[in-house]
Amino acid sequence: METVVRMGEAAASCTPADVLACIGLGSCIGLVLVDAPGGVAALAHVMLPEATQADPEQPPRFADLAVPFLLDQAEAHGARRARVRAVLVGGAAMFTFGGGQDIGARNEAAVRAGLRAAGITVAAAATGGSRGRTVRVHVGEQPSITVREAGGTDEQLFGARREGVAA
Amino acid sequence: MNTYTDLQLDALRELANIGSGNAGTALSQMLGRSVDISVPTAAVLPLPEAVAIAGEPDDLRYGVVVRVLGGFDAIVLLLFPEADAQTLCGIYGLELDTPDGFSLLGEVGNILGTSYINVLARMTSMALEPTPPQPVRDMLGAILQTVLVSRGDIEGALVLDSALMVEGEECSLSFLMLPAHGGIRQLLERLGL
Repeated sequence: METVVRMGEAAASCTPADVLACIGLGSCIGLVLVDAPGGVAALAHVMLPEATQADPEQPPRFADLAVPFLLDQAEAHGARRARVRAVLVGGAAMFTFGGGQDIGARNEAAVRAGLRAAGITVAAAATGGSRGRTVRVHVGEQPSITVREAGGTDEQLFGARREGVAA
Repeated sequence: MNTYTDLQLDALRELANIGSGNAGTALSQMLGRSVDISVPTAAVLPLPEAVAIAGEPDDLRYGVVVRVLGGFDAIVLLLFPEADAQTLCGIYGLELDTPDGFSLLGEVGNILGTSYINVLARMTSMALEPTPPQPVRDMLGAILQTVLVSRGDIEGALVLDSALMVEGEECSLSFLMLPAHGGIRQLLERLGL
């Protein structure tokens, strides 16, 4: 089953053949935490670098809160913290709105800072640039993560190569 | 989430109606063809739903983004499906995925965005200034998501949505006006609402 993770949402799964997806990431970050040997993956759709309120309704919206939140979700689905690695997708600068505020780059920096603080290694990333991206996490014994740009094909970013997918 | 009264939403819809009417007239003059304009909708939506308003998030769209500065902060966004962008370029004998084609879309965005904004400025006696148009070709979700997040309102977005259809050309485009929350309050105050 494919679960679409919309802006500010998060999902986790340990069910083989489940797919978690963020479709059309621009400046947002699709943050994946994956325990490959354990077959567990979690995906958050992060919108902004920092929380604007103390105890927000949707912690995954904010990079600083998304990392611990998603780690909890992954662990609740059986992930072992020591085996968890991260994959980042998104954080593009699609427009220059005069203010010079590159939210995409700030999002990526904040997510990476959160991962460092949690001691999680970044295994792969498709970030920056000016193009939007879609990320799909294929859950299973050999989890696989693919990324695609507008009008393009799925590219393998992490894990076992999948049939019909150009690496 | 930000809420507005029915009266306020009606007033905003009427502004969108006049704005898109003015933009339609400008497009009609530019193309030498009649342009039909849909009745605009005005709705306050949670961001994930605002992203979904104009189609599937992984649909390819050509877009032009015009940011408005001055009296209130807003973003005007024009969205063309690929075939419609091609039709529009074809009217001028241009190919879509060329610098000239891209530049034409930017100019259409500039003219439409500016005529929309000018009439709002006149009606509200506010000084509104469009920034240079930014053409983009990308996934609909990525375009809308980036625009919405850049506005700073994370709870919900007011979306004023109208459609322009060029007669006899099977060409239509979505016209979205996305004001920042503080800007709408100012706008409504100017209108005495």
